[in-house]
Amino acid sequence: MSLSYTEIVILHCLQRIEGQRTVYSVFHLLNGKKTSQTIQDAHLFHLSAFFHLFPSLTRKEFTDYIKRMENEQLIIQKEDLHFVVPKRDHWKAVDANILPKYVDGWRYHRYSRMLWERISLLVQVISHLNKQNQKYLPIQTKKELHVWLKKYLVQSKMSREDLAQGIYNELYTCLSHDDDINPVIFVIRLTGFNKIGLTASQAAEKLKMENDVYHIHFLNILHCILQKADESPEKFPLLNRLMTDVDKLTSLLTISASRTYRLIQKGFALDEISISRNLKRGTIEDHIVEIALNISDFKIDQYVSQLKQQLIVEASKKLTSKQLKHIRQSVPEADYFEIRLVLAKNGIR
Amino acid sequence: MMEKMLRKIFGHSTFRPGQRETIASLMSGEHTISMLPTGTGKSLCYQLPGYMLNGSVIIVSPLLSLMQDQVEQLMMLGEKKVIAFNSFLSYEEKNRALHQLHDYKFIFISPEMLKVDLVIKNLKRLDIALFVIDEAHCISQWGYDFRPDYLKLGEVRESLGNPLTLALTATATHKVKIDIIESLSISHPNEFIYSVDRPNIALKVDRVEHHKDKVDKLIEYLRVVKGPGIVYFSSKKMAEQMAALLKKEGLGEVMAYHGGIDQENRKLIQQQFLYGQLDIICATSAFGMGINKNNIRFVVHFHMPMQLESYLQEIGRAGRDGERSLAILLYANGDEQLPIQLAEGELLHENQIDWMIKWLEANPEAWNKLNDYETEMITLAGLTETNWRILKDFHQVAVDSGKDMYSLHELKDVMLKQMDVKRHKIKIVYDWIHFQSCRRKKILQYFDEEQKIRVDNCCDPCGLSIEDFMRNPTMVKNRNEETDWQRLLAEILINK
Ligand SMILES: [Zn+2]
Repeated sequence: MSLSYTEIVILHCLQRIEGQRTVYSVFHLLNGKKTSQTIQDAHLFHLSAFFHLFPSLTRKEFTDYIKRMENEQLIIQKEDLHFVVPKRDHWKAVDANILPKYVDGWRYHRYSRMLWERISLLVQVISHLNKQNQKYLPIQTKKELHVWLKKYLVQSKMSREDLAQGIYNELYTCLSHDDDINPVIFVIRLTGFNKIGLTASQAAEKLKMENDVYHIHFLNILHCILQKADESPEKFPLLNRLMTDVDKLTSLLTISASRTYRLIQKGFALDEISISRNLKRGTIEDHIVEIALNISDFKIDQYVSQLKQQLIVEASKKLTSKQLKHIRQSVPEADYFEIRLVLAKNGIR
Repeated sequence: MMEKMLRKIFGHSTFRPGQRETIASLMSGEHTISMLPTGTGKSLCYQLPGYMLNGSVIIVSPLLSLMQDQVEQLMMLGEKKVIAFNSFLSYEEKNRALHQLHDYKFIFISPEMLKVDLVIKNLKRLDIALFVIDEAHCISQWGYDFRPDYLKLGEVRESLGNPLTLALTATATHKVKIDIIESLSISHPNEFIYSVDRPNIALKVDRVEHHKDKVDKLIEYLRVVKGPGIVYFSSKKMAEQMAALLKKEGLGEVMAYHGGIDQENRKLIQQQFLYGQLDIICATSAFGMGINKNNIRFVVHFHMPMQLESYLQEIGRAGRDGERSLAILLYANGDEQLPIQLAEGELLHENQIDWMIKWLEANPEAWNKLNDYETEMITLAGLTETNWRILKDFHQVAVDSGKDMYSLHELKDVMLKQMDVKRHKIKIVYDWIHFQSCRRKKILQYFDEEQKIRVDNCCDPCGLSIEDFMRNPTMVKNRNEETDWQRLLAEILINK
């Protein structure tokens, strides 16, 4: 049977998880459900790039994919809702290139949409400014975008010709000579003077791509712009300034976890936070694991002794299974929270 | 003077019938009622005076989508001082706008917002140049789209100090016109009544046996008639399916357009159509293609409309440039069932009303502040947006006259009566479809008009030759299709 792109992605994820979670953990991952469980799993199984890749995938569509693949025996139900992928080697071939180079769902999922809204409006406005035409309808209608744009234009202190040329140059440099990018995927979506951009489905049809494949390659370009603009602000000053007002650090965390993080920074202990926030200890533990996953200079020594950390790391390297209970068996003095936290901190799956 | 403004702001050189007369009447300070058929540029009648008079223009508009369209039209003309007050605005946006009302030249407002004291208070502070009631037939019980909210407009107008008033409507019978004058209590208005007839639009009905025959007929037409055009459907699903089919049949660039499409894509599709990048739109009537596109050559109705009034509005989107255009209605046996079902769905069902009374008995505090329970009532009783509006309208009147929740029983009768009206309207369309002589004459009769002009290619009973509406087969569409991304990007950003 021929597989759709989404099915290949699901297969890939199931193969990584090796039946240690239910299939729905993959659904939550692709959907971008922001729970500590999903976020931890994403990191634990090295699937964070897949986070939020298909936010509009419905549970029913997902279940239909699973049923179809089960019927075709591409996946086998190990226990209730836990599926494994046999014929592992067969799928390895698909694995290596399953996601285009720049796609990083976890890192960029909060900014891709915003980047598109801003850049598409900016290009449209500059195009009309440059053609000295005032009579047009903005493609983006959100008030806050227009407020942002006004500020952006004022702060750039450039003539409209220079601004148009500048944006052109930066987009050109950013998108060209890169084998992992097909710029037309992005450019045909842009609206300018007397030229209205295509919708995603029109663009996919025109380029003869599956809708989901198109979607991922479009995301790839947005993530590429985000990454390059972030890494070389001197090379891409105008693109960089598109997103500089967004708070990147705390937006890596769920809202609740970022509250916990602030309290930790003020020196509160785990139990104190649990009491003052009126949340279960387990919830705060989840937050701490989430913080360890996302904030690289976060120290975990106050929660796990250095010795235990060492033992857990060693045990996890020896064991092939990622199930916590197997690690627990070889380091019985550590509890599950400690194990999860150490794995998170060390990026071990 | 007026022509100069027209050219400067709107880029047209001549007025359409009725525009100049309406504007001149307003400029001489007279209250005015104008009945101009759809597609003849009603909005220009208040836009232009807006620029010639000092003060703000307030436009009361009943439909959110319509209001949004008009706001966008003004923005297209480069007007920034325009705002729409409706439920789309967030609480903060509303507050901010209310405090800066004097910064706006054109203020669009929905009738329910006029019930808010704070809004009236702020409007009173303004220097109002012109008070406009769009779709004024909604004032009248005889109008096809009666809105109880509109009954209060007379009061509102008075509290604003009886400003210069313009009532606009596309289709109104004599009774409706009398109602408008009385409810607004405007004395001796100038009246400009233009025929609902659009002589450049030919009327054609095709009666076939089965649904499948309609599909074949549609494809047959679309292969030969000159575009661009709109095909209307009663459901989103049909609009989508047929758009896909028409694309597959190679009938050009086709897109579906309906309320289920997200805002950004809707905007893109609308603009693509406007800029000639699309040939055919498969639309639902829920969304007016409000953006003025002058050269629409045909409008097809794949499903039977619910009343002649809305049918005229929809076909009126064709031929705004005055060029020959075609309106086709496809009818298959039994098609009248669908509008009846739709009409029933719009009204509140007896069971729903009984359920609500029960629910209110359990939650009596909700009766006096029904708005707070909107989401709850809508989900629990399974109400549509229209259902909820009907309920709110009824509730308002009931509460104002001190009635309790049991007055909802009266709503059942109201619903039955409304269903009768709707059935009657559908019957009129049904009869019109099966009519054997001039369709144009029949429409004019319905609106108490006499036929003044004879037209060629009038309608199918009078005889029309479809050849006159065909495209030249040797004309190959030449769309500028740049696929080299660098050139495309340069074209958008830097080429002059
Ligand atoms: Zn006729």
